[in-house]
Amino acid sequence: MFNFTKKNLIILAITCVLLVVVASSIPSIRSSFVNTLKHPLSLFTFFGREFGGIIFYHRNLVQSEQLRKEVGLLKNKLNSSRELYKENLRLKEILSLRQKSPFKVIAARVIARSPESWSSTVIIDKGKHQGLRRGMAVITYLGLAGRLVETDESTSKIMLINDPSLGVSGIVQRSRQEGLVCGTLGNNLIMRYLPEESDIKVRDIVVTSGLSQIYPKGILIGTVVDIGKEFSGLSSYALIRPAVNLANIEEVLVVVP
Amino acid sequence: MKKLIFLLTIVLLGILQVTLLDHFRLFNIRPDLLLICAVIASLTFNLRTALFFSAFAGIFKDLFVGSAFCINTLLFSLWSFLIVELSRQIPLEEISLRMALMLIVTILHNLASGLLMLSLGNSISLGIFLRILLIETVLTALFFPLVSRILKPAYS
Repeated sequence: MFNFTKKNLIILAITCVLLVVVASSIPSIRSSFVNTLKHPLSLFTFFGREFGGIIFYHRNLVQSEQLRKEVGLLKNKLNSSRELYKENLRLKEILSLRQKSPFKVIAARVIARSPESWSSTVIIDKGKHQGLRRGMAVITYLGLAGRLVETDESTSKIMLINDPSLGVSGIVQRSRQEGLVCGTLGNNLIMRYLPEESDIKVRDIVVTSGLSQIYPKGILIGTVVDIGKEFSGLSSYALIRPAVNLANIEEVLVVVP
Repeated sequence: MKKLIFLLTIVLLGILQVTLLDHFRLFNIRPDLLLICAVIASLTFNLRTALFFSAFAGIFKDLFVGSAFCINTLLFSLWSFLIVELSRQIPLEEISLRMALMLIVTILHNLASGLLMLSLGNSISLGIFLRILLIETVLTALFFPLVSRILKPAYS
């Protein structure tokens, strides 16, 4: 069907050679390119957010009322938790337990998302200037969001936890069962390498285990929604609904160790 | 001048792809505006110009995807080359034919990207694989006439 002329094949060959050269230099030009586009990206994201706010005004109004009630309730709970925290501190002091210093966080805004469906990454408006480094954990107020995989002068790229390339060591809060939590590109995460008879139930809460140095211990990952057996039959898996709504993530907190 | 407008439109659509297009997603999947640009360039310009625009769109996508292997740059150029050759054999003037071509190119592109992802050791369930493959293909084909209209002043 195709009748490739010699001239066209030469053009394709030259293009391929040029592309290999360009492709090899992409990682080095990426930072300056994304930095150049930082302001247009922020502007477009801002308009998108405002546009969404106007379109979904009524839904936001209803949600806002619900959240206001929840905030009141949570404030009460927080007060009682504060009391418990202080009591805990006092007791620890008495027991002379070594305390871990609480981690610092840097807030950042999401300015762009991955242009393809085969990966789950976002770009934020903070970079090396603000003290961010590759490999830092990223959270939101709700739980774990991902990890910094690239940092430039003023922007950084986050790989979200629903990307299949990212694995997080998780632990079931109730039974202390450990497993590897990976992304699926879908709405849920998958916790793998669970023993066949592992103590895990639907609605169990999964948090970071702290086994790797990247993610601090105890950060909420999500809730178990389903349990199944691996195809091999040797181990089980659990599907986890992430605590963070990764599809609509707008602000994040980068954990500075 | 028109080529410059085409180039700037690709940049604009690329920015839209990573920002505002998020509001138009279906099952968390968005159409691939940059692939549409590459196909339109291949149906409009001669081989050299089409390859240039396709490679540019591919590079733009790869810069945001962040994978070490610049699959989009290479695949966009390959599709462009094949479309230019095909358009010499078959007249592709009708919009329905062009949409069908867009459908095929998107399927092939997503199939290649997905298989590469699997070959790198990432596990994706068959359901999610098919969902991305099919929904993105249909969405991209449906967006094709709209993007064609946006880009028309740059090549007509």
